[in-house]
Amino acid sequence: MKDACEKWKEPLREAALTGTPARDLEEHLRGCAKCSAELGEFRARAARLDALLPQVAQSAEPSAGFQARALAAAAAKGEWKRGRPLRAWTLAGATAAIVMLLIGAAIYRRTAQAIPPEDIAVVQKLAEWRAPSDSLLVTPGQDMLRKMPRLGESYLNVPVKKNEEE
Amino acid sequence: MNALIARTEAHNPEVGFGERIAENQRRVFQIAYCVLGNSADAEDVAQEAFLRAYQKFDSLREADKFRAWVNRIVFRLALNRKRGYRRRLARDTAWQTMETQVMVDGAKDAVQRVMLERLRKEIERLPKKLRSVLQLSLVDEMGANDVGEVLGIPAGTVRSRVHTARKLLLEVMK
Repeated sequence: MKDACEKWKEPLREAALTGTPARDLEEHLRGCAKCSAELGEFRARAARLDALLPQVAQSAEPSAGFQARALAAAAAKGEWKRGRPLRAWTLAGATAAIVMLLIGAAIYRRTAQAIPPEDIAVVQKLAEWRAPSDSLLVTPGQDMLRKMPRLGESYLNVPVKKNEEE
Repeated sequence: MNALIARTEAHNPEVGFGERIAENQRRVFQIAYCVLGNSADAEDVAQEAFLRAYQKFDSLREADKFRAWVNRIVFRLALNRKRGYRRRLARDTAWQTMETQVMVDGAKDAVQRVMLERLRKEIERLPKKLRSVLQLSLVDEMGANDVGEVLGIPAGTVRSRVHTARKLLLEVMK
């Protein structure tokens, strides 16, 4: 009997909380005095719980001077905020940084413009210069070695592109 | 106090902040109280929440925005303070004992006092997800939508978790 009623524990709790037992539970309750008594007990507990739960928070109230204290703290914070010279210093710092940036940019532009075009041409020529011995280092095998042969191929089977030869 | 409010608002550009405190103070205090369990710390945390709201008041002028923001911030501040408590276990125990005493000063029935004490302890033992939802739901004026907004969950989930929490409490509150 005890084991048979074990499965009704959860529906009994549900019924106590929602107020309406499920249809199958209702049928079971008609024939089971133990579960009916248990439902009564759960319902009483639920009623006690419902009466107690709101008291956990709603019995608590802030003290009478709370609003005044919060306002005074906010006002003090506001005064401090207004009184501190942080904003003025921040603005001064930002202005100084912008002025320094502008001066730096002007100096850079002037230096860049000061290089004569002949010098630039010489530098470009130097950059393009190649040693005459570079051509001696070129070997016919280089083109073939550019590409790794696949498994089963040999280096000699690598087709040489005509365009590259030209 | 009205004079102080008027003086504060006359000196500050943040006109209307006093009104916002008046509208929200009870709920904000109760949120902190539910988490912390004692009035002194709840007031501290509530005041800190209003102070932070004051600093952001330019963007929180609308009543609804203010309400939602301050609910969230006070809950978070209260949780942070509670974490601090846990580190100091001795004090934690002290507040629980003292708290129940203070909380039930008005309760005439001794049985009810004991039950309330037990209920608070059982709520503390609930899984965190259920506990947060239940604590917020117990606060006056906090509907499922408000609770969901604070915790970032849908109102339906709030209702279902409250139901589960009640079911667990029903089992333990014999």
